[in-house]
Order: sequence, then structure tokens, then C-alpha cells
Amino acid sequence: MNHGELLKMGEYNHLSIEGCSPDIIRCLYRFMLRLRRCQEALIKEYYPADEMRCPVHFCIGQEASPAALSLLLSQSDYLLSHHRCHGYYLAKGGSMNALFAEIYGRATGANGGIAGSQDISVHDLNFFSGAILSGSVAIAVGVALGFQTKALRSVAVTAFGDGATDQGIFWEAINYAVLRRLPLVFVCENNRYSTYAPLSKRQGKENISERVQSFGMNVKTVFGNDVALLYSVFSNAIEEAREGRGPCFIEAFTYRWNAHVGPGEDDYLGYRSVAEREFWKKNCPIALLEKQMVGQNLMDSKIKEKMIVEIDQEIATAFQFAKESPFPHLKEWSQLNYNIDTPQADRLLETIDSSFFDQNQKEAMPGPY
Amino acid sequence: MKSFMTFRESLSLAVAKEMEADPSVFVFGLDVPDHKRIFGSTKGLVEKFGLERCFGTPLSEDAMTGVALGAALSGLRPIHVHIRVDFMMLAMNQIVNMISNLRYMSGGKLTIPLVIRAVIGRGWGQSAQHSKSLQSFFAHIPGLKVVMPTTPQDAYSLLRTSIRDDNPVIFLEHRWLYDVEGEVDERKTIPLGNATVRRQGDAVTVVATSWMNVEALKAAEVLERRGIQLEVVDVRSITPLDEETIIQSVKKTRRCIVADYDWAFCGFSAELASLIHHRCFNDLKKPVERLGFAPVPCPTTRPLENLFYPSAVHIIRIVEQMLGLEKTDLSGESFYSYEHNFKGPF
Repeated sequence: MNHGELLKMGEYNHLSIEGCSPDIIRCLYRFMLRLRRCQEALIKEYYPADEMRCPVHFCIGQEASPAALSLLLSQSDYLLSHHRCHGYYLAKGGSMNALFAEIYGRATGANGGIAGSQDISVHDLNFFSGAILSGSVAIAVGVALGFQTKALRSVAVTAFGDGATDQGIFWEAINYAVLRRLPLVFVCENNRYSTYAPLSKRQGKENISERVQSFGMNVKTVFGNDVALLYSVFSNAIEEAREGRGPCFIEAFTYRWNAHVGPGEDDYLGYRSVAEREFWKKNCPIALLEKQMVGQNLMDSKIKEKMIVEIDQEIATAFQFAKESPFPHLKEWSQLNYNIDTPQADRLLETIDSSFFDQNQKEAMPGPY
Repeated sequence: MKSFMTFRESLSLAVAKEMEADPSVFVFGLDVPDHKRIFGSTKGLVEKFGLERCFGTPLSEDAMTGVALGAALSGLRPIHVHIRVDFMMLAMNQIVNMISNLRYMSGGKLTIPLVIRAVIGRGWGQSAQHSKSLQSFFAHIPGLKVVMPTTPQDAYSLLRTSIRDDNPVIFLEHRWLYDVEGEVDERKTIPLGNATVRRQGDAVTVVATSWMNVEALKAAEVLERRGIQLEVVDVRSITPLDEETIIQSVKKTRRCIVADYDWAFCGFSAELASLIHHRCFNDLKKPVERLGFAPVPCPTTRPLENLFYPSAVHIIRIVEQMLGLEKTDLSGESFYSYEHNFKGPF
């Protein structure tokens, strides 16, 4: 499977909800709808308010993978994601309030405003993200090694894009995970683009899974907008890993609808074809599931309406929470060095007077020189 | 020929001039040929020289840095570009174990004509993985030259000199400088290891790197109204270092602040403070003061980010302490925070 071949398929009509309980199907649907609406609301609120002062990578179109994982991981399992992380954050149980507050740079954010969108983490939930591509992959290998060493039944999952597979460390991590038969699931969301560069301009052959398989890894290649299929594939892989039968690599083909970063769209640049965009919008992960649910009487306009009201209420609350929350307390600046053994750093922090900062200070532009 | 241009234009002009003059010069790196052209600093190069001499790469910094070294050994003059200096950390083995050593190990027989350009410093809520500077880190390694231009003229002339240099040069460009305008004389050459006095003064010498020159000039403008004249020395290159210009200035003013755009601990500012204390011990009226990043990873949220990066306000307060003055009322002053001017998304 590769992106070019997928486009020839036209409409995807293999999604089946037969094997899943209605409860699971409803949860998958609700997760995706909630994630979609939360992203859309953030995008709508972005300008002109301009209060989200950090790079934000939206994941509209890529809701299926985090949705499937949201039902399969326990608190003690680890999830290490990439910069496009809001879905995974919610999948691991992160609160919407703390997510919004983090993006708004407030003290009540998941990381007190220090990390922002692309580096958000939740220690209590064993959730991590990061802005260096493939940065989390090797770390996940180490987490899984920890589980194995301590004979725990926990599993590590690392999610990344096709861009991460350009990196040498990715292949080193794959090799080591196989060598040690680690309880680890690799989730590659292949959305074909690393920023503006398509896979075909970065790799000589579009066969990531094949190459990973040649390392001795169990590999699955799936249509990544089929959430029911993802649920079943993830479920098996996580179970196998938990039972000590080694790691698995899952390549899920999907597509980001928005620009690489920020609230806009960047299709006007012409780096992605209209046919491609239309294919993926037609095969929207939410719409594909909804169609099946309607066919099986699991969804109607009344149920959907009720869901939307609940979700939008949660989103409104999260915005209010974020906007009403204070910025980090400047008096606590000098306690930001958390390493108690480095008094030198403490002294240096103390010399930076937090009263220097005045958000209302007038602004100048430099030059000319 | 003299013309008025931005810092980003001066960079692409310098590369274009060198590519015209020498067919062995080429430029490559992640995102180099995309429509944004590294904040516009590689604009026009694909059109003029084609994708053979200006091309993008996979996300493979380590390997691509090795490729740059190999290309340099084979007689080409590569310019490898990183849109964030943080991404160079993925290539440190090549930079520190291979590139920096080879000329020395070959008894000077090999030349490594290689420039690594990297965008440094502050953007806008960039957090800890997109915000570093790291000149101290690179300058710590023997065999690497480290250049930090502030003005369009310096960016232009120093980049041309760096491309012509037969040694590996790390060329660090602050993101906020890209919009700065200035006059550029295309014929002007500036050697590496040549600091410049940006502003004459007698009260305190501020030795500054990169964006800190902008902050120092702002501090000087504010303090001038109180009759205090700062002297601002732009070091321009960390290695080679122009000790004489710095020492001469400090001997004149007898007070010095090193305003570095990097972490202070074990940093370039410590190196300079040590140098100045040694060479100006009897001239100094006060110990050398140092200014740099706060000793934490860079926080994202605006109030803390504003404290993390050193600014004109910090310089003003330190000068006041050194001279035993009351604090200046800064409520009416304008500073550079991009609090209102900068619009996202990244």
C-alpha cells in the first residue's frame, strides 16, 4: 500500500463495525467528533484574538489513530507522540481544560504554560510529545525496556509521522526493539508530507513497512481512516506486546487537512493535488464510521445533536477556563530551576528580576543599521 | 554598489554572489527550496541556479552533515542550512568528531570549505526545542569557526568570507534580525575575527553578540537621555575572536558588560570575562558583568519567555548598578518584545 495506489481506490467501502460492540463504536465516534470539534474551535478562535502564542499543529483528518488508542491504553501504559499531538493527549486522558490553558500559556496548563502545544506532556498519565521528529521513538524503546526489566505488563506506544522514518535513529530503534522483543507498538501515521516535502522526494522507495519488516519486525499496513480496523489492529498488537510476544509496527495511511502548522490551509501553494485532497476529505474518518453506524441504527441526527451539544459545552468551558486562568506567577520565576543541586543556576535566576516584564510595555522595531 | 535591503535579502544575495563566482558552491538542507525559503534567506537561488545547486534533503541531519563533509573533501564548497540550530544537535557526531578534526589530523593537508548556517534564538513561543543559540557550545570545539552577524552588511560580507574560508564555519543567524534593514555595499569585505564598535561611549562597554547588539543599542539610546554614553562592541565572530578591539574599549571605559545571547554558565560570556579580567585587571573599576539566557530550558509562555531572553532592560539595570544610579523610569519606553507586532502561527 502507498499513497499513490490509495488514490486510485476512490471511495473506501471496507469499513466494518461487525466485530466491535456498539459501545466501542460509539466511543470511537464520540472521540473523533470531540477531537475534530475541539480542533475546529481552536482554529476559529486563533485569529484575530492571537492569544495562542506558540506553534500549534492541528490534526484534523487524522483523528482515527488517537481514537482507537484511547480505548486500548491503561494509565500505566506510556504514549509518546510527536508535535501534532492533541489527539494523543486526549487519547491518554488529558483534560481539555489543561490542553487549552497550555496553548494559552497559562499557569493552569498541563505544563504550566512552559511547554506549549508541541511539547505538551502529562506526567501522571505517562503521556509525552515533542518537536524533534523521531525524538520520541528511541525513548519509547527505553520505556519498553523498563517494563520488560521490571516484568510489568505495561506497553509503550510511540506515534510519529512518515517524516520520522527519514531519521537514522528510527531504524536504530526498530532494530533494538526487535532484538530485545520489547513490549512496544510503533504507530506510523503516514500522511505523505513532512512539512511541504512529499515522501517521494525524501525516500528512494515508498515502502516503509517493507523495510521495517526486513528487520524482523511484525508489520501491519492499514488504511488509517478506518477507525474500526485500526482499533482491531492496535488491539491485537498491544495484546501481543503485553503478553511478551514482541513489538509491532503499524503503518496507517492518512492525511492532514490543514496547513503543516497554524490555523490556515496551505493548499494554495500547490504542493498537494486537488485529487488527493478530495480523496481524503471524501474518506473522512468520522464520515466513514458515521455511515456504517447509521446503517446499523447506531446513529441518528438526534443522538449526534446531543453529542455535539455536550462536546461544545466542554469546549466552551475549556476556552473559558484557559482565558480566565492566570499567566504563571512571575514571583515564582526564581524557583524555575528544579535541580536542587545547582545553586549557581538559582543565583543566576535570582538576578533576573521578574518585575522587568511588563506586558503593556510599548514596542519598537530595530534598525535600520 | 550600495543598496538598502533586509538581513534576509543580504544572506541570499551573498550566497548568490558566491554561487555565481564559484561553481563548486552549493546550498542544501531541510526546507531550503520550499516556498518559504528559510524565512526568505534562500530566495531566488533555485530559480537562478537550479535544483542541482540548491536542494532539500530528507530529515537526516547526521547523514546530510556527513554528506556536506564528503562534498567538501571532494572539492565542493557546501552550505548546509538548518532552520533551527536545535536540529544541528542531531548531527553533533559529524560536526564534533569528524568535521572539526580532519584538517588538524591531516597535518593541515586537507581543507574543509564548509559553511553550516543555522537560525538561532527567539521566535514566538517556540519552547525548548526550537529556541537555542549555542555559540558557546560550537566555539568550545577547536577546529570550528563561529560567526554571528547583526546587520545586513555584516551578514552579507561575513557570509561571503565564510564561504571562501577553507575551514568549517558555523554561521548563526538570529531570527528576529531577518526583518532588520540596512545599507549593503556589495564590494565590502569583512574578514573573520574582526569586531566592530557599533557605538562610541565612555561610561560602560557592552560587548554583545548577535541580537544583543540590538538590545544594547536600545539600552544606549535610553541611557543617553540621562547623559550616560554606552560603548557597544559587536564581536561578529566568536572564533576567531578579535581581542584587541574589545580590550581597547574596556581600557577606555573601565567598565564592561558581556551581553551574550546564550546560556551564561560555562559560556562565551565567561570566556570573555576571564579574558578581560586578565588583560584589564588594573583598569577595571568594577568586575565584568555577564548577561545571558536564564539557566533553564526556554519556557513557552510569554511572560516567562520575556524573562528567559536577556534584553535592553536587563542591560540598563546592570549599568545603573555599576554606576550607582537610581533606576530609570522605563514606563514610557518602547522595547523589542514582539508582544504585539508578531502574528503567528509559528
